[in-house]
Amino acid sequence: MRNNFDKQLENLNVELIKMGALCEEAISLVTKVIEEPSEPMRIKIFDVDSAIDDKEREIEGICMKLLLQQQPVAKDLREISSALKMISDMERIGDQASDIGEILPFIKDGSAAGKIHIGDMASATIKMVTDSVESFVRKDMDMALSVAKYDDTVDELFKKVKSEIATLISKDISEAEYGLDLLMIAKYFERIGDHAVNIAEWVIYSISGVHKTF
Amino acid sequence: MKKRIFLSICIVCAIVLVASLILILGVLQSSFSNQLLSEVKSETNFIAAGVEKSGIEYLNTLESVDKSRRITLIAADGTVLYDNMVNASEMENHSDREEFIQAKENIFGQSKRYSETLSEKTVYCAKLLSDGNVIRVASTQYSSFSIFILLAQPVAFIILIALILASVLASVVSNKITKPLNEIDFDAKEDKNTVYEEIAPLYSKIYSQKRTIERQLEAAKEKQKEFAMITDAMSEGLIITDLSTDILSYNSSAPKLLGYTGEDAVGKSVFTLNRTPEFTNAVTSSLSGNHTETSIEVNGKTLSVMANPAIKDGKTVGAAILSLDITEKANRDTLRREFTANVSHELKTPLTSISGFAELIKDGMVKEEDVPDCAGRIYNEASRLITLINDIIEISALDEGTGNYKTETQSLKKIADEVVSSLLPIAEKRGIKMEVCADGDGIINGSREILYEMIYNLCDNAIKYNNENGSVTVCISENQNKVLLSVEDTGIGIPDADKDRVFERFYRVDKSHSREIGGTGLGLSIVKHGAIFHGAAISLDSTLGKGTKITVSFPKQN
Repeated sequence: MRNNFDKQLENLNVELIKMGALCEEAISLVTKVIEEPSEPMRIKIFDVDSAIDDKEREIEGICMKLLLQQQPVAKDLREISSALKMISDMERIGDQASDIGEILPFIKDGSAAGKIHIGDMASATIKMVTDSVESFVRKDMDMALSVAKYDDTVDELFKKVKSEIATLISKDISEAEYGLDLLMIAKYFERIGDHAVNIAEWVIYSISGVHKTF
Repeated sequence: MKKRIFLSICIVCAIVLVASLILILGVLQSSFSNQLLSEVKSETNFIAAGVEKSGIEYLNTLESVDKSRRITLIAADGTVLYDNMVNASEMENHSDREEFIQAKENIFGQSKRYSETLSEKTVYCAKLLSDGNVIRVASTQYSSFSIFILLAQPVAFIILIALILASVLASVVSNKITKPLNEIDFDAKEDKNTVYEEIAPLYSKIYSQKRTIERQLEAAKEKQKEFAMITDAMSEGLIITDLSTDILSYNSSAPKLLGYTGEDAVGKSVFTLNRTPEFTNAVTSSLSGNHTETSIEVNGKTLSVMANPAIKDGKTVGAAILSLDITEKANRDTLRREFTANVSHELKTPLTSISGFAELIKDGMVKEEDVPDCAGRIYNEASRLITLINDIIEISALDEGTGNYKTETQSLKKIADEVVSSLLPIAEKRGIKMEVCADGDGIINGSREILYEMIYNLCDNAIKYNNENGSVTVCISENQNKVLLSVEDTGIGIPDADKDRVFERFYRVDKSHSREIGGTGLGLSIVKHGAIFHGAAISLDSTLGKGTKITVSFPKQN
């Protein structure tokens, strides 16, 4: 009985890793398209997003089945409930990646992005998402904590990008629309960073049983 | 076993106890009855003596003293004259009683009679008196059962104590018997049973089986160790997983290649090591029974991942995943692809022009007076092609070492001067200053032809990639054991990313403008191979937008 339960838990773990990997893929596609616009890659973002949505439903099913059939307690219950919370954050990351994908055709080329630190934001967020998934995979509390701390860097970058866009628009009003698109992308990145922190929080919760909010 | 021994001992004790009790009762009864008989006999003698002396009165005095015996005086004809228990007149004639008859005949008689109703045995003794009367004394003797009833309480007590004692002893004894069994040492060096002879065959069997198991275990461990050593020595990463992607075994290269730095991964999912989509797809596909090959990027390295299903009885039970570092191969492949593309491009461009102009002339589309111009263009393109092919031949010759080059003492300064003077007109067209600054003649041992090509190509590049009104400086200097030749320009510079690649054949930093600039894309490659021919080293120092300095350090002539 217990053996079967362990197997199901392991399966849940594997599916979560896969979903995390999909999130990483989505956001790294976004970063690549920002650096070097490519239509097929941009389209792929949406495919990955829908794969993430499917995965969310699948994992939700696994969690519900485990909760109903096994009625877990203590650490097992924590793992399952944090899995349920984590997938909704991961799903949001996928959505936001695809939201960025929708704006990307309006970004002319990488030239302005070079002046504005949007690329830095992208790589900072990709690091956060990768690290949060990695901390889950390794059940590494320190790594999860470092993800939470790293959010400050992304927030700082967001502020910087915001003021850079403000300067861009004030210099040339015709760039306003473009600037706003960039701002949206920056905001999405900032949100993705927050979701990565949420994932890290749930990782900490599933290990220690204490749910800290950063 | 202990329990069994304990119970057996207890049961045996109980049986022995009961049997001995029964036997003792039997023996007691007969000895009681003998003793009683002798007592009654002597009492009869005493009473007979008393009656002889004092007559029947004696009996009356006795009656008030003790009534434990029945005393009867019987007349010679059998009439009862006196009885201390029953009224004598009511008693029947006793002449037929056995003891009476015996006494009459032998002066003394005795008999035993058993009363069914009272379950008592009565012992009778009779003695003939001198007056012909017979005195009879009777006493009741207990049966075995009544003795038992009489003794029930103390006997029960004794049995209880005996049983307690027996159980204590039984427990001690059973412990003592089983203790050596518990302490049997199967690890002993030789097959020698030191405990009970009875278990010798069992001991031998277990002992030999234990040795066999140990040997097999040892062999299995050895094999496992061997396997681990082999797999650990592999530079390829090997992972074995079960159907649910859990890692069963892996070698030390696997986590290194896949970029996993955590603790022992056995029992974890293989996706813990790597979760790139290509890798997950390959593993999943191999677990559904397909051989899958893919390549993934990890930490800037390219890995080729081969996932094979492990099939048992027609069912997939797991997967063996092999990963190899193919970074170099992948890089080489890219180089080769680029080289082919570049060389085709370089060869095709002049040919396209040649065939285009030739076609125009053939079709009569060119006016008579324009023919020389077209022919001139064809000639130029053809020359360019020849130069290119010459360059390729030269570089191949340098590469293969098949060129017939004479090596003799050369002055780098002299060659540099020649190059500069031949290139000066071209440089001046773009307002570029050229100078040679020499500290000594720069005497080395080498091939003039190659050295000329090298300096020419370096200076040619320095002019081509210079800005208007820039400058090119060729410096020759010497230090302790090297002769240094450097060509410095104030041109556009080389981006960091391309610095390692500019010496490759046909490699161009700015691919889109190659035609305007001209050249074959082989210049620096020729320089590199020339340097190799002379055993010289090349160093490149360049800042984007500021200029480039290429230094070739030749070994000094002995």
